[in-house]
Amino acid sequence: MTDHSQTRLWLMRAGFGFLVMVVLFFQLLPLQMVPRNWTGPDLVLGFACAWCLRRPEYVPAWSLAGLFLLTDLLLQRPPGLWALLALMGCENLKVRGRSLRDGGFATEWLTVCVVVIAITLANRVILALVLVPLPTPTLTLSELVTTLLLYPLMVLVTYGLMGVRRAAPGELDAVGQRI
Amino acid sequence: MAKDRSSSNDFTGPLRRLLLAVLILVLGGTFLLWRIDSPRVERFRAQITDRIVPNLDWAMAPVTGAVNLFRNFQSYQRLSDQNRELRSELRQMQAWKEAALQLEQENARLLDLNKVRLDPRLTYITGVVLADSGSPFRQSVLLNVGARDGLVDGWATMDGIGLVGRISGVAQNTARVILLTDASSRIPAVVQPSGQRAMVAGDNTAAPPLDFIENPDLVRPGDRVISSGDGGVFPAGLLIGQVAADPGGRLRVRLAADYERLEFLRVLRSHGKEPVSDSAHIITPEGPLADAADPAPEALQP
Repeated sequence: MTDHSQTRLWLMRAGFGFLVMVVLFFQLLPLQMVPRNWTGPDLVLGFACAWCLRRPEYVPAWSLAGLFLLTDLLLQRPPGLWALLALMGCENLKVRGRSLRDGGFATEWLTVCVVVIAITLANRVILALVLVPLPTPTLTLSELVTTLLLYPLMVLVTYGLMGVRRAAPGELDAVGQRI
Repeated sequence: MAKDRSSSNDFTGPLRRLLLAVLILVLGGTFLLWRIDSPRVERFRAQITDRIVPNLDWAMAPVTGAVNLFRNFQSYQRLSDQNRELRSELRQMQAWKEAALQLEQENARLLDLNKVRLDPRLTYITGVVLADSGSPFRQSVLLNVGARDGLVDGWATMDGIGLVGRISGVAQNTARVILLTDASSRIPAVVQPSGQRAMVAGDNTAAPPLDFIENPDLVRPGDRVISSGDGGVFPAGLLIGQVAADPGGRLRVRLAADYERLEFLRVLRSHGKEPVSDSAHIITPEGPLADAADPAPEALQP
């Protein structure tokens, strides 16, 4: 049984990496060369939050850190800062995940909203402090709002398509611990 | 139950916290290193991109093609309207073509009379666009030519008609082009026919504004903007676009390059100007006057 669940654990970890690569693949497609003043959601962060709240063992800190850093590097962001803040936000969500399990989806959504807004704000404040030119506020705001609005959809994909659901109380994780 | 859980995590808990602390330190360190020594980290970024993106090309090319095909289908729906427009435009163009042909012949005659040789070193490499910047905050594209093809940072990039951007970040197989619309792009330009010098300063909009115009009164919407070659990095005389005034009265450049379809880009080889490295020597009838610090020419004197 341990062997089987170990395989599943690593499969799901690889599955999250694959998901991030698919998102990056579609963002990198050379389709949008004219600047626009709105933008879609930050899918990587949204999915990471959804996975962290459901199955924290599928998205260990090292995998999150690596994938976020890769996203930073490929998408021309200041490397490390967004990754650092997103990692801290996700770890925070993991800690709260147990207590959120009993509340409904609205509580979860609200918590994610708070965390994502905090990450975005902290990102802008730190960039301003180290005198890096800031992106236009409208762009940042539209990214933030679409991420928060589309979060239920990401949860639906996580839950329905990828089969990542909350552990039932009393269920054992791969290492044999009570979740 | 909570107590039970904490006791079962006796070993993993601290270890996990330690790992998290290390990860946070590494990520924060990366950011600080980037802030302090940006070129080194940007080179690292270019190498990572170089490893990953060309490997995705086999999948990216068909998907991009399919999406563009779909977009074309959408435009076919307006086909008859476009046809009518094109026909009327074509009539106007024929008059222009006549004029252009006559001018071309005249130009060739004059060049021949003056024995002008166009700069033979202004050659180009054509590359295919592999990927865009991936985020709406930056405007850049990735080309499939790189250091392997002799590309150097700072070279100009054009599509068939106008300037598109500047090479910034060269890896072995790929190179990144910062587009004129990117917020960090600054290109010295001349507005013709008044000859006013200005900066085309990208600000993440489709039409970058003109900054630092010497005398804005002399610049009118419709004037041509071409690169000036100031600073010695860029070749002079590349078409950038036309001046246009936005509703706020600010002068902007409507870019000549077709940013909707950047597929093949030309990278112009630029060999720079000869730097003046030695100090001035006074030339006398016996040859150059010797420097006090330089003993070699003294041996030549009788």
